[in-house]
Amino acid sequence: MRVLLVEDDAEMAESLRASLAADEHSVEIAGDGETGQAMAMEGGFDVIVLDRTLPKKHGVSVVRELREGGISTPVLILSALHDEDHRVEGLNAGANDYLGKPFSTRELLARVRALWNGRGREPQTRLSVGDMEMDLLARTVKRDGKKLDLQPREFRLLEYLMRHAGQTVTRKMLLENVWDYHFDPQTNVIDVHISRLRSKIDREFAQSLLHTVRGSGYRLEA
Amino acid sequence: MRPSLALFRTTTFRLALAQAGLVLSFVVALLAYVYFATIGQLIAESDALADQEYAALERVYSEGGIRGLNQEVDERVAREGPLLYVLAEGNGVVIAGDFQQLPQLPAETAQRLDFNFERTDAAGAPQRGRARGQVGRLLNGPILLVARDLGDSSAIAGRITRVLWTVAIIGVILSVASGLIASWLATRRAEDLANAARDVMAGDMTRRAPVRGEGDEFDALAEAINAMLDRLDQLMQTTRTAGDAIAHDLRSPLTRFRQRLESALEAPPNSDSDRAALRKAADEADRLMEMFAGVLKLARVEASSNWRFEPIDATNILRELVDFYEPAAEEQGLNFASEIGEGLALRGDSGLFTQAVSNLIENALKYTPSGGRVEVRAMRRADGRIEVDVIDDGPGVSPADRDRVMERFVRLEGTRATPGAGLGLSLVGAVARLHGGGLHLRDGLGEGERKGLCAAFVAPAMDNGVRP
Repeated sequence: MRVLLVEDDAEMAESLRASLAADEHSVEIAGDGETGQAMAMEGGFDVIVLDRTLPKKHGVSVVRELREGGISTPVLILSALHDEDHRVEGLNAGANDYLGKPFSTRELLARVRALWNGRGREPQTRLSVGDMEMDLLARTVKRDGKKLDLQPREFRLLEYLMRHAGQTVTRKMLLENVWDYHFDPQTNVIDVHISRLRSKIDREFAQSLLHTVRGSGYRLEA
Repeated sequence: MRPSLALFRTTTFRLALAQAGLVLSFVVALLAYVYFATIGQLIAESDALADQEYAALERVYSEGGIRGLNQEVDERVAREGPLLYVLAEGNGVVIAGDFQQLPQLPAETAQRLDFNFERTDAAGAPQRGRARGQVGRLLNGPILLVARDLGDSSAIAGRITRVLWTVAIIGVILSVASGLIASWLATRRAEDLANAARDVMAGDMTRRAPVRGEGDEFDALAEAINAMLDRLDQLMQTTRTAGDAIAHDLRSPLTRFRQRLESALEAPPNSDSDRAALRKAADEADRLMEMFAGVLKLARVEASSNWRFEPIDATNILRELVDFYEPAAEEQGLNFASEIGEGLALRGDSGLFTQAVSNLIENALKYTPSGGRVEVRAMRRADGRIEVDVIDDGPGVSPADRDRVMERFVRLEGTRATPGAGLGLSLVGAVARLHGGGLHLRDGLGEGERKGLCAAFVAPAMDNGVRP
């Protein structure tokens, strides 16, 4: 996957480049907003990772102008200001995701993958992973033809995991996207939700679909 | 040198001067009115009288000639009426009358005349005065003057004028004096406030503006200034304690961070112990960053700026939070129950409100041992406030420690091992205050020695409910 990284702190940029490269992405770096925007306009990138505060042109303006210019490449904004207002501002400008500093490398990699994966997909009415099928209209889930009884919240959790099947999703991503919570719970709440879901979808079947990715999060995969 | 307020430049004094000017112009206007209403009237009357008498004597002359007139004038002079008479020959030589001399030779036609006179009265005493009357030449030349002594009326006029001028002067003096006194008093009060402000600026944060208890505008101002100073003082205190607490609390994670990096360096590269030490170091770094994020958030909440307040549906947020934490609570072997009232709405920031209540729930989950109970209750109180209680039957907090645990970084002895940045309750308290309410701690569900804890988040309800 080709990633454009717009970051003015050279040391930070190099460390992110190394991490992204280790995750098998090819990375190009722009050191300021104007250069970054020009490179993004030329196209050819799958994901853009954009620092919010940049010299020459602010990250939020870059996103807004890219979207106005018809460039729909998924954008992830990195920001030291992890405030609700700034997050909403970034997303309203057209960014696809917003990650507050400090963040872990795993978190960033998981989100970059998720952006690439969710890109340009047709609205779906059915999702499937292995022998598990979800009907988004009827709000039902079947595994191996057998109907699974899920609570609404469990359904939304499973839906998110199924939409990102094959990818690692972090606890933070689940928290933000399934519950719309933007704080870090001190307790292992997410793990408990996952283990409940797992007991409903995996317990009676030979093959486990919901895997724990140590140190990162979870992955749903056949 | 301290800048001091000049008495004459104060607003009060200027107002008093304006008032003095007003008094003065009022008296002048009154004077003019009284003058014309009284003296003018008197003069008009005496003019009419003199004219009438002049006409009567003119008739006497035309009937009885100069001799008859002379006789008539003599008679009238002898009568000592209010009128004065002079009959003179055409060249001005006086024939009969009250004076030996004419004040002025008249023109051909009769004219009005104001003049000063001197004469000796019947008793022989000299008399001076002012008179006003009619003087004219009769047929064939003799001059007749009929005038009225203005003595009485001018005395009245003089008295009235004097009284009014006296009133005017006293009024002006009083206005200026009261202006000076008022501005002196006001200046003194203002100086008191200014002095207090200067002392605070000089660093004495305990100094307060004097309140005299008279309930006047200066007291109101002083009270407002004092309330502001209290708030500033409190903010400075929290900043200072926060600084100390951060410095203190950062020391141990930083030390552990360093130790772990060192042991990673000492361990053989890429060994298990090397990896474990590095992972622990990274965890420690996460803790540090989390603490910073918490401190920054708390600072922003306490600065209470830039929050966009919107109607928030507390009932829905609380039910979702209960739904979110229920599995974790059950997993811990807790009896988790809730009782959330319908239609609870308040004005605020939904993100902060959610986080505040989640902190309370996490606290309860963290400190309540397995087998215990945790309840979330929310209701609208009779006083129009919404109260969200998170109640447990855990070890609780003794009443003496309750205020202290709401300060940042305070975790009671024996709970240090539990993870958490120690910002929980202080953040919840700050969020409650930002929403116009507060956080209150009291006994919870327990009995006997173990009372448990009830953390009550209270904030004013929004009356019209939340429109979807």
